[in-house]
Amino acid sequence: MRLAPYIAYLKKSFLRKSAYRFDHLMSILSTCLRIFIFWEIYRTLYGTRQEVDGITMAMVTTNFILSMGLDVVFGMDDNFIPGKIHDGSIATELLRPMSIKGRMIAENMGSSVFKLIFHFIPALLIAQIMIGILPPASPMMFMCFLISALLGYGVMWSISFALQMLSFWVITTWSITTLKNVVINIFSGTMLPLWFMPEWMDRILRFLPFSSIYFTPVQIYLGQLSGAEILEKCCIQIIWILIIYCVGDILWKCGQRKLVVQGG
Amino acid sequence: MITLESVSKFIISDFHIHIPQGECVGLIGVSGAGKTTLLKLMSGLLAPKHGYIRTIGRNPVREKGTYGRDMGIFLTGKSNLENQDTAREALEMLCHVYRIPKEEFHRSYEALSERFAFREYEEKRIKDLSLGQRMRVELAAVLMLKPKLLLLDEPDIGLDENGKAAFWKILEEERRKGMTIVVSSHNPVEISRHCSRIALIDEGKLLFYGTEKRLRSKYASMDIMQLKLDGKIPDLEDLPLKKYEAEQDMLRLFYDANLVSAAEIIGLILKQTQVKEIQVIKPNLTDMIMQLKGVKEDELNRGK
Repeated sequence: MRLAPYIAYLKKSFLRKSAYRFDHLMSILSTCLRIFIFWEIYRTLYGTRQEVDGITMAMVTTNFILSMGLDVVFGMDDNFIPGKIHDGSIATELLRPMSIKGRMIAENMGSSVFKLIFHFIPALLIAQIMIGILPPASPMMFMCFLISALLGYGVMWSISFALQMLSFWVITTWSITTLKNVVINIFSGTMLPLWFMPEWMDRILRFLPFSSIYFTPVQIYLGQLSGAEILEKCCIQIIWILIIYCVGDILWKCGQRKLVVQGG
Repeated sequence: MITLESVSKFIISDFHIHIPQGECVGLIGVSGAGKTTLLKLMSGLLAPKHGYIRTIGRNPVREKGTYGRDMGIFLTGKSNLENQDTAREALEMLCHVYRIPKEEFHRSYEALSERFAFREYEEKRIKDLSLGQRMRVELAAVLMLKPKLLLLDEPDIGLDENGKAAFWKILEEERRKGMTIVVSSHNPVEISRHCSRIALIDEGKLLFYGTEKRLRSKYASMDIMQLKLDGKIPDLEDLPLKKYEAEQDMLRLFYDANLVSAAEIIGLILKQTQVKEIQVIKPNLTDMIMQLKGVKEDELNRGK
């Protein structure tokens, strides 16, 4: 497999993102606004208290700033495959000498790299100046955070991939992806840090992939996990990627079979 | 290059065809006859319900995606170009996908944009092009691959006369260089003029497969003679006519040119009456196809 065509798609998706400047400025503004709103809410909730259940205000702030930032970078084009199925171009696309999955990863990465540089970092700087976030626990932990964040991206990608495959059977996936975004928002710890979840909820979430997306990297960043725990959590992330990807891949194969039998 | 043996799928039933390398085969048939289904079967976009298909020596469904530049395909409504790209960007992207070397791309791009005359709007986005302009770019996109096998589904839709002329000329040149082409169309006249073979399809059946000349000699020997008489209607009982129509002083005779010549008919008529005008009409391809359908249906009915 040669990489050149994938790199071309990555580059194109990066450049396409940069074409819409106004949209881009607005989305930075919206991220900053969301951060401020959350900051205000938590400031009110904390009041004069220093900490709740051993969690300081600074930790909570760092959590939602980092996870909202990652949320921006991890944004997937959930309409990639559904769009191609809808307009029928999926068929001819399959005849091309390149993997559609590979192209999907490349295009997602292209826009993610753009958003990382021109959206995440500026928003983070603004948040740092206006609110302030905790520094990483140590340079070592920061490295681990980056690795874990990359794995979190993988989990997010495979969820999006698997859900997009449903478009072989349903006409619109809009409601499914909206539901996905809501569920991820709640259960990944973006809005409500998972520290504050009731114990029964915590037990359920342990068997779901959502905490692997943002919460694991943030916990590593804050230095809440020991070396062994980091290894364990990263392994869990890898296992989730594999499980969800395999499910998606089975759906993908079934979908392609459906396409050649029923036509598309 | 392509072999189909007793293939059935949707409307296509028990279909046999073999397309040798270097032929340009025109698929003719009315809407819904199964032309697009056939092209999809040949390219591996559809799996046959029954039967055996080999495209460039391989099973096209199982080995989908391995053809690379060997197979170029254009299906109506399934664009190879991306709406957001300009014509140039879209073709450049395909050059990456199909791993066409840079120099080769520049050479073919220059040539094709010149011949299809889309250089003046190459910086416009695909979505802003008119149908005809877009078709020119679509065709350039598949021709750029220089595939061994080219499958085209109604490529002449939206093309103006210049575009059509350029398109057929390029096809002819490529065929001479060894490209195998399968092209479908509603327009039998155009196809018959440019393709080396015609495949006539009706309701998923192959009515005829061969050169235009053979089609004419085999099935279209029914000529029409139109006469304006100046006198009584002659007695033509002895002639093997298919049928005749008389209307005031007009007489229309339908006959098989293989069985009786125009000279014989005229000779007999002139012995009996005066003739003001004579006109012999050779049927065109469209009439012929209608006629052929009738003949085949008769054969089938007799079989029952």
